[in-house]
Amino acid sequence: MALVKIDNVSFTYPNETSPVLKNIHVTIQQGEFIVLIGQSGCGKSTLLRHFKRELQPHGEMAGQIFYKGCDLQQLNAEVAAADIGYVFQNPDNQIVTDKVWHELAFGLESLGLDSVTIRRRVAEMANFFGIQKWFHQKTTALSGGQKQLLNLASIMVMQPKLLLLDEPTSQLDPIAALEFIQTLHRLNKELGITIILIEHRLEEVLPLADRVLIMDSGEILFDGLPRDILMTLPKEHAMITALPAATKIFHRLNGVGSIPLTIREGQRWLHNQQVTPADMSPTISYNDTAIAVEAKDVAFRYEKNGQDIVYHFNLQVKEQEFLTIIGGNGTGKSTVLAILAGLQKPYRGKVTLFNKALKSYSNKQLYQQFLTLLPQDPKTLFVQKTVRQELEDMARLHKVTEANMQKTIQLFHLTHLLNRHPYDLSGGEQQKLALAKLLLIEPKILLLDEPTKGLDAHAKEELAEILKDLQAKGMTIIMVTHDIEFSAQYSSRCALFFDGSIVSEDEPRAFYSGNNFYTTAAHRISRELLSNAITCEDVVTLCQKTFV
Amino acid sequence: MKAFETFHPIVLFAFFVAAVGLSMFFMHPVYLAITIFSAISLNIALRRQLFFKDWKLYVPLFFLMAIINPLISHNGQLVLLYINGNALTVEAIMYGLAIATMIVAVMLWFSCYNVVMTSDKFIYLFGKVSPALSLTLSISLRLVPRFRHQLTQIIQAQKVIGMDYTAGSLWHRIKCIVRILSILITWALENAIDTADSMKARGYGVKKRTAFSLFIFERRDGIALTIIMLLFVTNLAASFLGTTTFYFYPTFGTIKWDIGSLLFYSSYFLLLSIPLAIEIREAFKWRSLKSTM
Repeated sequence: MALVKIDNVSFTYPNETSPVLKNIHVTIQQGEFIVLIGQSGCGKSTLLRHFKRELQPHGEMAGQIFYKGCDLQQLNAEVAAADIGYVFQNPDNQIVTDKVWHELAFGLESLGLDSVTIRRRVAEMANFFGIQKWFHQKTTALSGGQKQLLNLASIMVMQPKLLLLDEPTSQLDPIAALEFIQTLHRLNKELGITIILIEHRLEEVLPLADRVLIMDSGEILFDGLPRDILMTLPKEHAMITALPAATKIFHRLNGVGSIPLTIREGQRWLHNQQVTPADMSPTISYNDTAIAVEAKDVAFRYEKNGQDIVYHFNLQVKEQEFLTIIGGNGTGKSTVLAILAGLQKPYRGKVTLFNKALKSYSNKQLYQQFLTLLPQDPKTLFVQKTVRQELEDMARLHKVTEANMQKTIQLFHLTHLLNRHPYDLSGGEQQKLALAKLLLIEPKILLLDEPTKGLDAHAKEELAEILKDLQAKGMTIIMVTHDIEFSAQYSSRCALFFDGSIVSEDEPRAFYSGNNFYTTAAHRISRELLSNAITCEDVVTLCQKTFV
Repeated sequence: MKAFETFHPIVLFAFFVAAVGLSMFFMHPVYLAITIFSAISLNIALRRQLFFKDWKLYVPLFFLMAIINPLISHNGQLVLLYINGNALTVEAIMYGLAIATMIVAVMLWFSCYNVVMTSDKFIYLFGKVSPALSLTLSISLRLVPRFRHQLTQIIQAQKVIGMDYTAGSLWHRIKCIVRILSILITWALENAIDTADSMKARGYGVKKRTAFSLFIFERRDGIALTIIMLLFVTNLAASFLGTTTFYFYPTFGTIKWDIGSLLFYSSYFLLLSIPLAIEIREAFKWRSLKSTM
């Protein structure tokens, strides 16, 4: 008997004309690891919520869902709560209580279990997840990765049979995300838990999946093995760009045979092709333009007796450059941006902007003509009820003309969203709106704090297009990010931030081919043959050259 | 020093209720001496450096309170001198000192209470009374730091777009603050939906909740609680019999030193020195453990 059977389910949100889900049929077997992918707005989150009765959205639903042969609506409330677990996207919002141990016990308390049982189950899960060390801590003191592991653990104590996860790693840095995905893999392999996961990080997730479901505008486009995606998907489908680097290279070079998913498989496949070693010419550098921002021996700490977050920090950014600063989580990259934006004052060292001390600019001058900072959370900028009002509000504040506003709306493709509420936009759209709002004042320097966090492949590409466009128009861009692939593909210079300062910097090709671990998937696949190919594009170009 | 705080929250709470409750009402010099001595020694044992920093607050406060009483109260028979025709009496000075001692002692007991009764112990005790209230407390304790963090994020983001609440005209500042708060509230409400979903998804409201805690009531907790209760009742009896009463006005009463009174005094001392006794016993135990290792 199937664990879950979705039988001809359609769903329409209230006040919408077209359905989000159209005649969905899916059967899920016990113990499967299923990855559900699709572009934002395709209805994958809506579908996932249908598996969990308590979270089913309001609207018009047709069809039936069976859990272990029983209609989900008829299922006993306790069984429904315990058997089906749900992990949300934002690690912070789903934590309810203030202490780790209390959070772990929350679900069991709700089910009215006695203390002895709760104690045993909590202990078991704390052990499985390695939570003992921070068992007594406050939940606010945890890192993002720990928070998400806690959320998973506090569902696992209820001993679920089916685990549903909606982009659980989108707010995490790559290392924490990998740890989380590996934990899921363990739960699946060691405990046989059935998992349905919505995820953008296909590079890590696809090799682990038993089955992949691809959704496209409310329908299931593909339902099968990860290796069969390429054979079924239309050649130019948008999801192709989201696939792992090895698969993408294979696809672009019209490979034949077994489709590679992992780095190792990619390396093997590439070695079997007739590729002669070659290299790419370096990316354009901006050596001759004037210096836009410069930091000299900057040191900063938050408290007098605290530790230095930033020290011996030196940086030079030329006009029209697109610099990405990469580095681990919680190392102070965001603090660096705050210093460059004049929001935090260094206690030593000097920051200059166009050869003038940053301190000598008045706030008004600085933020109206020279620079702007896109915060990590775009919601900190939204005050109005619609996208249009949001932009008008900013235009009024800074006396921007209507024509300029229209131009920005065009540039950011916001026309179809103008009447929506900012909070109802997808993560990528919110990011675009925030950026559009900030760029109405046409600053010379744009600072971005992890703008690709939580974006899918398509939204990232769109963001990159906009940034390229701005750069071409003369804007200097400094971006702090975890996203190595994005940095390699689009920036004109990369820097590695570690232990308070910039450790190394170079143009992307030299930078990423010099790193062994901190580098792109494409480079790891092709390193043996192609000395400085860092993107899939590079690998494809070089291979095609040698094929001829 | 970490022996006393490992006792069950009910024991801790009972002790502090007894200590603070009795200290507030006993104005007898012997009782005052016992309570201030016990409070200071426990403070030193539990708080060390912090306690010595706090002296900067306690000493001026003590003298301030001691001075105010003779300035406003002119009762008493032992007149020292007259100021503007008002008598300055020994009784009034002593009463001022007594009040000051009492208040400082209560403050010191409370500072010990803060070290020992952490928020989760407090929440646990409340959970015994009302599980819903204790969950609310736990949720709020989580929200406060989150709100504070988000607030700084919003303030920075708004500063960049020219809405700096620290600069500009008063009207502009008010506008900025309203704007910042409005963003914070929208954000909070939006997140609350997620939190509610997460609670619902984990079966909140399905059954009557139980309150889980990490605290276990051991045998030693039972013993400690019984001793506290017995000594507390003894002291109530002392108060009922008048042993704890002492008159400052019109002139000083007498301090009794008969066997009965001495027994009552020592019962008070025993009660208030329970935490310190536990700490000292633990320290000795560790020392002997170390030497036998």
